[in-house]
Amino acid sequence: MIEIQNLRHTFAIGKKEHERKVPVLKGVTLDVQKGEIVAILGKSGSGKSTLLHILAGFMTPESGSVLVNTKETAKMKEEEKADFRLANFGFIFQNFQLMPGLTAFENVELPLKIKGETVKKRQAKVRALLEKVGLQDVADHYPNELSGGQQQRVSIARALVTDPPILLADEPTGSLDSETEQDILMLIQSLNQSLGLTFVIITHDDEVANVAHRQYRLHDGELVKGEKRHAI
Amino acid sequence: MQFKDQLDFIKQHMKRNKLRVATTILAAMMGCAFLIILASVGFGMQQTVTDQVLDNQIVTEIEVAGREDGDSITDQEVEAMHQIAHVKAVTDRTSPNADAVAKIGDRSGFVAAATVDMEQEQKAGLKLSEGKMPSSANEVIIGYHFAQNLLTEEERKKVDDGEEVSGGFAGSLIGQTFQLELTPYEGETEAGVWEFTVAGIKEEPGKDWISDNTLLIDDSWAPVFQEELALEESGRQVLVYADDLQNVADITQTLKDKGYYVYSVTEELGSMNMFFTALKAGLIVVGTVAVLIASIGIFNTMTMAVTERTREIGVMKAIGAKPKLIQKLFLMESAAIGIIGTVLAVLVSYGVSILANWLVPKIIMSSLGEDGEGMGDVSILISVIPWQLVVISAIISIGVAMISGWRPARKATQIDVIQALRQEL
Repeated sequence: MIEIQNLRHTFAIGKKEHERKVPVLKGVTLDVQKGEIVAILGKSGSGKSTLLHILAGFMTPESGSVLVNTKETAKMKEEEKADFRLANFGFIFQNFQLMPGLTAFENVELPLKIKGETVKKRQAKVRALLEKVGLQDVADHYPNELSGGQQQRVSIARALVTDPPILLADEPTGSLDSETEQDILMLIQSLNQSLGLTFVIITHDDEVANVAHRQYRLHDGELVKGEKRHAI
Repeated sequence: MQFKDQLDFIKQHMKRNKLRVATTILAAMMGCAFLIILASVGFGMQQTVTDQVLDNQIVTEIEVAGREDGDSITDQEVEAMHQIAHVKAVTDRTSPNADAVAKIGDRSGFVAAATVDMEQEQKAGLKLSEGKMPSSANEVIIGYHFAQNLLTEEERKKVDDGEEVSGGFAGSLIGQTFQLELTPYEGETEAGVWEFTVAGIKEEPGKDWISDNTLLIDDSWAPVFQEELALEESGRQVLVYADDLQNVADITQTLKDKGYYVYSVTEELGSMNMFFTALKAGLIVVGTVAVLIASIGIFNTMTMAVTERTREIGVMKAIGAKPKLIQKLFLMESAAIGIIGTVLAVLVSYGVSILANWLVPKIIMSSLGEDGEGMGDVSILISVIPWQLVVISAIISIGVAMISGWRPARKATQIDVIQALRQEL
């Protein structure tokens, strides 16, 4: 489903005259199967977020290729990337990234609005999803009226609302306490099993990585294959 | 994104920044209202002057003053004028070169006698206040003040001494027979006297200061007067009437091309319009400066909106919003500010215009004295807002609002998703 081939990327640091090149990804190659949960572990600054950003199309790699469903995303134009993201990816962010002026319902509805879905279709879909993540009673609440776990559930519902085959999670439990973390991890596992969704999870937490079918570790810009935890 | 959702989206954002958006709308409104009101003064001045010009004459009337080569206008040439397209009537009034005095009983008075083609006069729009059009050559039409000018010898003496006399001929002149005495200005020929019967009286002139003493006689009498009084060539006044105001310019041009000295309302309005067009354009340019100043407010508001919403824009881009959609949403927001500002400006401008048209003439009147002496019956329009001015101002105002929102909108599309998502809430 996702094929990353020899991905390289370098950041330029400092002022132009004293610019220093820091290689972040040094030929990363990764293959993610459909319905698989893949965790990429790494310390802060190891390049794991850069890998996710390139995969999501937020930045263009220096070299290498990213094939998602056999389509090369690295060379797409901005408009194409936006369409591609809408159709193929759902995002779960560490700090949830909800719109403060929108209710839980409206936050989940937003990607469908961007897609141009009708009100009728949108409402049915959003209601069903909020029920699935257990938030039907707080649909009218604004993000600041929800707990961290509830906000992350809204964020997951928003990620699922366009039926994307792949979910990209960047430290999905990074802002949550350990009890809520377990709830979210169970939700991710349950979505993977019930809907056959593919997850790429970026984390520094071994416990989070344990829900994955396969683990990788990014170290000094190189991907080291971890142990296979369990079969899909 | 559906259009309704786009509207909801910008509505939501505008609500969140009510005060800032309201002050920006206020600035846009003031700029646009200033433009409309300023230009409306130009339109008002033009309207006032045009009304004065049109009020003093029949707008479809074209006066043929003579030939450029100095020759007199012939009957054949008058006949040819009838053939020009869109000519409704051609009146040809010939005044005998003689003093004309009307006498009825012991009363008499000077009149402005002219021989005319009654049918053409009627077609040209001759209106009667009393009586009917003549049905025979001995019947005539008289001016509205004809009777008033018929005085006795005693009354005339009083008038000559500067005293006021009231009356003139009492009762209706319709059906009355009077004598017309024509005394040639030059030559030895004795005065001639003819009898006519009054068939109709012309309607009252539009202006108080006009005294209408005309006497319109059927043109079959022209050769009679000419022959019996051995008159020199008589004065001829040829007036061509167009069927509609919009054809006056064409007919005027045709007559000019044929070598006539012509005067029509379009001649006067033409040069006047050129002046007022330049004046109005100048006022619109000055007014646009106010709109441009207001646009700085819109630019600031939109730039701040983009800066404040960087994280939200980042999220929207991350979840699949195209840069074009982001740009459109911000452009729509600045356009909305422009549109709301313009609508309010139009309403305010009409209000100010109505108030100015009511108040300013009153102030002018009171400064000229109790009864506004010196103004005559001149009606002053200080401000006129035609729909064209509203359209021009709306285009300028909304256009400028969109241009000022364009740069911030462009900036929004260039926001880096990664940087935006890193922003703290």
